Amino acid sequence: MLKPLSKDGWNYETAAHLLNRAGFGGPPEEITRLTDLGHEAALSSLLDYEKIPDPTPNPVWAVPDLGRADRVRAMQSMTPDAKREAQQAEQRAQAQQIIELRGWWLNRMATGPRPFQEKMVLFWHGHFATSYEKVRDAYYMWRQNELFRQLATDYWLHLLTEAGKDPAMLIWLDQAQSRKEHPNENYAREVMELFSLGEGHYTEKDVTEGARALTGWSLDRQTEQFIFRPFFHDNGDKTFLGRTGNLNGEDMMAQIVKQPQAAVFITGKLWNFFAGQMPSPELNSALADAFVESARCFKPFLRVMFRSEEFYSESIIRNQVKSPVQWLVGTARTLQCDLPPGFISAAILRSLGQDLFAPPNVKGWDGGITWITTNTLLERYNDAATLVQGTTQQLSASDFALKPGGPGGVVQEKAAQRMHIGGVDVEKILTPEERADKNKLVAALQHRLLQSTFSNKQDQALRDFLDSRPTLADADIRNVVRLVMSTPEYQVT
Amino acid sequence: MKNEITLQTRRQFLRGTVLGSALSWTVPTFLADTFAALQSQAADSATQIVTGKDGSILVVLQMAGGNDGLNTVIPYANDFYHNARPKIGQTADKVLKLNGDIAFHSAMTGFKNLYDSGNLAVVQGVGYPNPNRSHFRSTEIWQTASDSDKVEKYGWLGRYFDNACAGADPTVGVVVGRQLPESFFAKTPTGICFDNPQNYRFLSPERPKPGQTDMTEAAYEKLNETEMASSDADSGASIGSLAAGMPMQGGKAVDFIERTAMDAQISSDEVRNIAARVQNQATYPNSAFANSLKLVAKLIGGGLPTRIYYVSQGGYDTHTNQLATQQRLLGDLGDSLKAFVDDLKAQGNLQRVLVMTFSEFGRRVTENANGGTDHGAAAPMFIVGNKVKAGLLGRYPSLAPQDLFEGDIKYNVDFRSVYASVLENWLKTKSAPILGKQFEPLPVV
Repeated sequence: MLKPLSKDGWNYETAAHLLNRAGFGGPPEEITRLTDLGHEAALSSLLDYEKIPDPTPNPVWAVPDLGRADRVRAMQSMTPDAKREAQQAEQRAQAQQIIELRGWWLNRMATGPRPFQEKMVLFWHGHFATSYEKVRDAYYMWRQNELFRQLATDYWLHLLTEAGKDPAMLIWLDQAQSRKEHPNENYAREVMELFSLGEGHYTEKDVTEGARALTGWSLDRQTEQFIFRPFFHDNGDKTFLGRTGNLNGEDMMAQIVKQPQAAVFITGKLWNFFAGQMPSPELNSALADAFVESARCFKPFLRVMFRSEEFYSESIIRNQVKSPVQWLVGTARTLQCDLPPGFISAAILRSLGQDLFAPPNVKGWDGGITWITTNTLLERYNDAATLVQGTTQQLSASDFALKPGGPGGVVQEKAAQRMHIGGVDVEKILTPEERADKNKLVAALQHRLLQSTFSNKQDQALRDFLDSRPTLADADIRNVVRLVMSTPEYQVT
Repeated sequence: MKNEITLQTRRQFLRGTVLGSALSWTVPTFLADTFAALQSQAADSATQIVTGKDGSILVVLQMAGGNDGLNTVIPYANDFYHNARPKIGQTADKVLKLNGDIAFHSAMTGFKNLYDSGNLAVVQGVGYPNPNRSHFRSTEIWQTASDSDKVEKYGWLGRYFDNACAGADPTVGVVVGRQLPESFFAKTPTGICFDNPQNYRFLSPERPKPGQTDMTEAAYEKLNETEMASSDADSGASIGSLAAGMPMQGGKAVDFIERTAMDAQISSDEVRNIAARVQNQATYPNSAFANSLKLVAKLIGGGLPTRIYYVSQGGYDTHTNQLATQQRLLGDLGDSLKAFVDDLKAQGNLQRVLVMTFSEFGRRVTENANGGTDHGAAAPMFIVGNKVKAGLLGRYPSLAPQDLFEGDIKYNVDFRSVYASVLENWLKTKSAPILGKQFEPLPVV
């Protein structure tokens, strides 16, 4: 198992598959470039992203807000009215920043030079699913996002440890409040159940002992940094997953990562994310072996995975439902157009069921076919018109269901309905011949958007539409692009 | 009228074509219900599967923000209550009395009317062990029916769909709102949502004149028509797998999406058609919330094969100036519900419909300094319909300081006992597979 794909298995179709899954897809030129590189160099061009400079600046507010704790404290002695006003101002500023943060990240995915790194950040965000709805602090959410970026393909022990010490996580799963007198079991349980081992691979005793080991991991609200509080820490002996001693959080994470099941769990989840379905038990065990042989470091493991013939098998290619993020970012990359402004992109993603920085719960997004309901499918078809035609007129008011009254509320909604947001430049994506010849046009769009072909009946539907137009105006061509996107076939990758 | 004919014709066409060929995953779900029903009759006669337009209907009504139960169903004769609430406490001269101890808020004339006519049950002191005071988390607990220290992936209504409605029409669940609530999250996505039926459709840029064809829309319809499955499949086996809920096993993702696309087309036509055709037969208040109930009444009257409707009314997070806010919200809620009941009665559908309210938590017993109340715990639920066990159910929680937990009243009834009753006695399905364990149903119907 996990033999490298044969040399003649590498072609335009498999190159497109790699770019779609290890990145967010791209235009035909980019796929051709990868094809020509050969499999190994193509892999390296995506995976060895450290070699590619990424000059994206951080959001200006992405620094610790050293005055925040004092401001919050000062509110306690204000009059009720002043306190309310101060709290609302604080909340408004945070809400504005989280909208900016969504746009900032989406732009990195859509236009940044390291799509694979961003795809991994998206994986980790869904894995360590943390929500702004509880954390209520944009800086902490950015910091966690940046942690996932820095350690995207690092050693599992390193990432798992740092994710537990991350301020957003310390708040999200209540570790910040845990002390030896009343150890909070939330993080101890979820770190095993959801992040590393899966249910049934630890006991309730491991949860309570783990919670004791974790005491002392806390958050300094003044500096907005992780802090170890020795007075909170339980220095007694604990027995955790078979190891006994005065264990601390680091010891606990080391003991988790060592478990054979830990390798099975995380590699199964990675395979599911990138290949689109859970691996068979045999494949999962081969993946786990490869991970252990890679010293439990993700970069070499993922190279084995993306090199393997299993990853390019028929049941994997074009059989994954695009996540809303994949759908939106992939559309911008494939059609070589801009993403809409951040707050519109965020509203689109929310209505499609993937509100970044606000997963539904600590289990993250379920993904797969659960992305598709009758209304999210119609939303995709209608949002396609927005992206392609470049006007927000096609968006329903419900697409702007941001916080009523807050930033992104009514005022932005009104503005958005009149907004022009770029749209597709048909001259950029189609040659003059393709724009003049209906057959060539339909073929070029299928090639670009599906890397596959429609059924005869669907072909005929597009031809009928084109035949009803006296000339092929740009608006008509954009409408055909939208129609190609308004199909079941465009929703998979 | 013309629309209706087109819709009817298309349905008949699809029915004929699909039934003429083999069944597979690509069969639109509206056809699959027939087979699911056959299957279930054989399997479990205690389970009632959605079979059409005469099943019982549950309307779930979310009072979002955490409604102050103590100022809704008011212990107006209780000294602890008045001591804790010198500013916002409701005195005996204002309230709508139900007995010597308990009264409705003065704005709740609609509720009082329903109560007096035997169409309303009040379940007192509903909550769950180890209550959580976060809106986000407590809402999630109510939506997923989980223990407060467990996170569930799927919602309780989603699990109902997965367990009892496999193969049903997608309109088996209808949310009036912008987003699917977490209670609808399911293994097999089920249910539709829209705030305005006009938005639940494929939007074409064309504006064809009467008699002209909208070519964009025509192309969309053809691009999304189900390709009939190859005819060599064994149809007997396919029926079995249909009824089993069609998980994503071995099937191509695109087949599932094709089927959903067909469902979307059909349900979109159907919903807009009914909304345009059916008239309301009662006078509702003029509010966004009343409009959702008006729409639900129309869809019920129009015969949509829906088992679960979901509506919500927000604004209950009354940390400040609670009196005015609650006056407005409870008045709107009660008047809208009263009109809804009248509407259904006029339609002849009232005996099929049960409304159940919930809110993520009640509020602190002691009022705060801003004329409001902070997040609390237990609160009442309301059940509306002409089959309800009308009156006051459960016990009013004690307000004596020694009986409070961190300033909150303690629950007497676990909300999952109410869910269990609604599932078993109203929707006629076993509750344990849906709620994760057996809760003693608190009979509400």
